[in-house]
Amino acid sequence: MKRLALPAAALGLWGQVLGAQDAVVYGTVHGESVGPLRSAEVVVIGPNLGTLTDRGGKYRLSRVAPGVVIVRARFIGYVPAFDTVSVAAGDSVEASFVLRPSVTDGLPFVVVGPVVVTAAKRSQLLDQAITSVAVVSDTELARRAVNTVDEAVDKAPGVQFLYGQVNIRGSTGYVQGLGSRVLMLVDGVPANQGDRGGINWDLVPLEDVQRVEIVKGAGSSLYGSAALGGVVNVLTRDIAPGFHARVRATGGSYANPPYDVWRFRDYAGAEEGLDATGSYGTELVRASVTGGGWHSDGYREQDRRDHWQTAAKLDWRPLAAMRVTASGSWASDQYETPLIWCTRGGCDDRGQAYQPFMIDTAGRGAFTRSDKGYVSLTLERTASARLAWQARGSWLRTRFNDYQPGNDDAGIANRFGAELRALAHPAEGRVVTVGAEGARADVTSDIFGDHAQNEVAAYGESEQRVGRARLTAGARIDYIAVDGGGLSAVVSPRVGAVLETSAGAWRASAGRGFRGPSLAERFVSTVVSGLVVIPNPDLHPETAWSFELGNAARIAPAVHADAALFWTEAHDLIEPNVNLSTGQIQFRNVARARLAGLDVSLAASPLTPRLTTALAYTFLYARGLAHDTVPERPLAFRPTHLVTLSADYQWHTVSAGGDFRYTSRFERVELYPGDERVAGKVLDLRVGVERGPLSLRGRLANALNYIYNQVPRTLAPVRTLSVTLTWTY
Amino acid sequence: MTTRTRAATFALAAAVACNQGLEPALAPTSCPQGFVGVCGTVSFVGQVPESTAKLFVVAFDTFPKSQNDLFKFKPQPSPPNLPLGGPAFFYTLPLPPGRYEWVLAVWQKQGTLSPANADSLLRETGFYSDKGDTTEHGSGIVIVNPGTGTDSIDFVVDFNTMHRVCFYFPPCP
Repeated sequence: MKRLALPAAALGLWGQVLGAQDAVVYGTVHGESVGPLRSAEVVVIGPNLGTLTDRGGKYRLSRVAPGVVIVRARFIGYVPAFDTVSVAAGDSVEASFVLRPSVTDGLPFVVVGPVVVTAAKRSQLLDQAITSVAVVSDTELARRAVNTVDEAVDKAPGVQFLYGQVNIRGSTGYVQGLGSRVLMLVDGVPANQGDRGGINWDLVPLEDVQRVEIVKGAGSSLYGSAALGGVVNVLTRDIAPGFHARVRATGGSYANPPYDVWRFRDYAGAEEGLDATGSYGTELVRASVTGGGWHSDGYREQDRRDHWQTAAKLDWRPLAAMRVTASGSWASDQYETPLIWCTRGGCDDRGQAYQPFMIDTAGRGAFTRSDKGYVSLTLERTASARLAWQARGSWLRTRFNDYQPGNDDAGIANRFGAELRALAHPAEGRVVTVGAEGARADVTSDIFGDHAQNEVAAYGESEQRVGRARLTAGARIDYIAVDGGGLSAVVSPRVGAVLETSAGAWRASAGRGFRGPSLAERFVSTVVSGLVVIPNPDLHPETAWSFELGNAARIAPAVHADAALFWTEAHDLIEPNVNLSTGQIQFRNVARARLAGLDVSLAASPLTPRLTTALAYTFLYARGLAHDTVPERPLAFRPTHLVTLSADYQWHTVSAGGDFRYTSRFERVELYPGDERVAGKVLDLRVGVERGPLSLRGRLANALNYIYNQVPRTLAPVRTLSVTLTWTY
Repeated sequence: MTTRTRAATFALAAAVACNQGLEPALAPTSCPQGFVGVCGTVSFVGQVPESTAKLFVVAFDTFPKSQNDLFKFKPQPSPPNLPLGGPAFFYTLPLPPGRYEWVLAVWQKQGTLSPANADSLLRETGFYSDKGDTTEHGSGIVIVNPGTGTDSIDFVVDFNTMHRVCFYFPPCP
């Protein structure tokens, strides 16, 4: 096996994978001192041609386009290995690997070594991205034994979830699901809701997720609206040739309240779930189907939830340089809505000022049904050594029914999208990405009305290598029209540079992001607490300039460090404006904000021969700037300090580890500023053992049963013990 | 990393982690220290109507002069609830410092509240009066000073004598 420090020029050149005749790459994957590894993943990076090893550790990748290709082999518990091989048309080349045991591959979020990042709309080394990117691998997803993507991504550096609402460096705060300032992609396809602009984190079954990439800072120069604070790209698994199956069963239990006076039921709440995935593939066609569901009693009063999901993917490779992928998923949730917790007088309060596990009697009986699904079709073609292109179309549909005492709401929303993108290598050291994108969102709802929004956009970005530096410049222009009205245009430029030095790779970037108002923000018409919420069709996009200066370096043989200073100036932020004279609430472009800070992550792999540790720290200065009669003040729901400590110990096939997340007390909150609030201190523990096709993982989330809340009068999850058994064929 | 550094790191993490989060807090019987607003005891008279959605307490800095002024209540957006009857209840009402002319309890009927149907869904059920006069509004001036709570703003909630909005802003339909 050849272990290479990959030449910089090699990555990003998947356009070299081409040719009229196919080639074959074959070989074996062995674990050091354990022999052949079954089901190890071997992929050709770039065109995402992949397979799994058989019982003898052998693999065979046919239909490889001739040229220089990078082959990666990896297996849980081992250091991934890379090889660069040159294959000629009709030739076959051996690339065998012996993987070294380590917990490195399971290192949370800070991955050492060459990692391919597609969140910048093309493959590149992680350290060559001009903005910060965090990666959550499938190994990490499996090790955490969680049910949804957000639970695994939650502890990535600089990322924080507030009751399902993602914050990247404090981007969004908490706005009750209306208008996320982070764009979610599924395999590069935008998947924010068509009506509210929020994100359904359970849209894709976790079983189908290969990895998640989190791009921090404004990404609108490539992705347009909603990528104001960052982009989260959920990448689904490639389908391997042959027949494969996986069944995952989960069971768990919630801790009771730590104080008797807070007890609200006389049994321990439980959760249970079952998922199954099957796939079959040939060199020409591959398909997979996933189905499953889970039930939860919840950890508080009126918190039961049922979830059902299914997903499918079809991969057709008629030519070595052509790939057609169709995928889709559907998920349905029926859940009791635990609204806000009960305060004195609102329930059987037992003399307490508040009862965090109980809900206010006025909210009894609230229930929600939420269905969501998407389908997408993607065609990828490598036309020549210098040109590759991709076309895709997608449809996302969401539907909700909120049943609340005396106040039922419902809505159906669609989001149709299409994109044509080309990647060119016009000259040595230059990569150009250009594309056009269109989208249509519509909604039919009793509170949002019947409305539609159309968007068309064109973008381009070029990277030029100059000595040890890579210079990047690009821009995107978006045109938005609502209900057939006039077009409004938004321009989002971005420039950046990466310089490789002996002190690591330095990166710097400046970019403009924006978020178009969601249809919900424009047209919501309802009543909240007796105040009438009125529409504002004249809302315009909120914008932000983001700046970043960062460095990624190996400061010791086993220690990788990444640090970034960031600064965001946001304008025209959309906020609800309460007018007490008229008794009305309306969303308006009113606020300016400044978010600045420091992101640092350190990964020691290994700290000792079997122990890997990681530390991530984010300092955030988030201020709403003075406007109208409102003085400068801290932005609500943003922590100043965010610390994550991780450790994993591996002994043969047994692993144990944990994460600790500290979130400093919010300086300011909204709705109930007088409520007591505390810092977040959550310790998650995990153990796992692998034996043949079986894997057993245990997870103790919030092991200290730390009682806290981060959004108003909404209790964060209590200690939860879950056990997951996975069988893989 | 040395053994000592490692041990210190884990000790620090453990110390931070062991700190308590939210804990039970008895409902106060007087204005809590640092609380800004008004506090007092509410007594209940009469039977709670079956159509009750909730009962809550609010304050107006000036007595409403029109129906539209009804939305100028404090605190926004969700005032604290009161229990639906039972023994006397100690309430706390967070308010900005200032002068308040009307501190009252409002009964809300089941249904979706809007300005258009406020008259049919809302009732005044009792208010503070410093003269002990429970029938005349505007006689209970309350001063909230910065950094402190104003205690003993006691009044009676009478479910037998509730007043519609149009009682204050006639005519009643």
